[in-house]
Amino acid sequence: MFGFGKKKKNISVTVPMTGKIVPLDQVPDPAFAQKIIGDGVAIEPEQGSLVAPFDGEVVHLIDTLHSLVIKHDSGLEILIHIGVNTVSLQGKPFTAFVKTGDSFKKGDKLIDFDIAAIKEAGLPVITPIVVANGDVVESLKIHEGSAAASSGELMEVVLK
Amino acid sequence: MEKQFTIKNPQGIHARPAGAIMKKANEFPNATISLEFNGRKVSAKSITGVLTLGMKAGDAVNVITEGDQAAEALDAVGAVLETVLD
Repeated sequence: MFGFGKKKKNISVTVPMTGKIVPLDQVPDPAFAQKIIGDGVAIEPEQGSLVAPFDGEVVHLIDTLHSLVIKHDSGLEILIHIGVNTVSLQGKPFTAFVKTGDSFKKGDKLIDFDIAAIKEAGLPVITPIVVANGDVVESLKIHEGSAAASSGELMEVVLK
Repeated sequence: MEKQFTIKNPQGIHARPAGAIMKKANEFPNATISLEFNGRKVSAKSITGVLTLGMKAGDAVNVITEGDQAAEALDAVGAVLETVLD
């Protein structure tokens, strides 16, 4: 096209885990529920598999394997945190298929997690998925309902 | 300004404490606030930056501030680094 100036860019974040999409205020951790860490959405997972919601790279995988920050080729960063207080599980119910610095394609396995083990430990498995660098974002459109991993769009992010 | 602080959180700086550091740093919009650890320097206003330092309990971290309220920002962010938030 022949547009002048910078064209706004829309990034599609596909559903990264099978489950029910719920608002962030359902997450029983104020850092997420009050959007302190970032704006986004949460999924109450029904299957213990997290897959990549776009092509990108792992900026940071925490050494206890329950959380990671991934970066879209546009620069958009998304933080995904499997469960609440799951840092205390020291990585046990988690299997990571990537490490910090790895590239991945949409749909690639990132982390498997044992939902039953997390629940047995008395912890919620609800998973916030939030923008980690909100300064690059103009607006977010969030989809709701139940969804299967990689089946559709979770969020549409419009970059500045 | 620059001062060293020691991480007290038993589980290190995972998402929630990193969020608390970022929130405090953003209370100083006209100050530049950096954390320096293990040869890397990041903005305290970036959750990704703070998390990628991988700070654990007992780690000594430099807080470096410039601009408006640099002294207040140094003390405020340092206090969060030394808070137990698990």
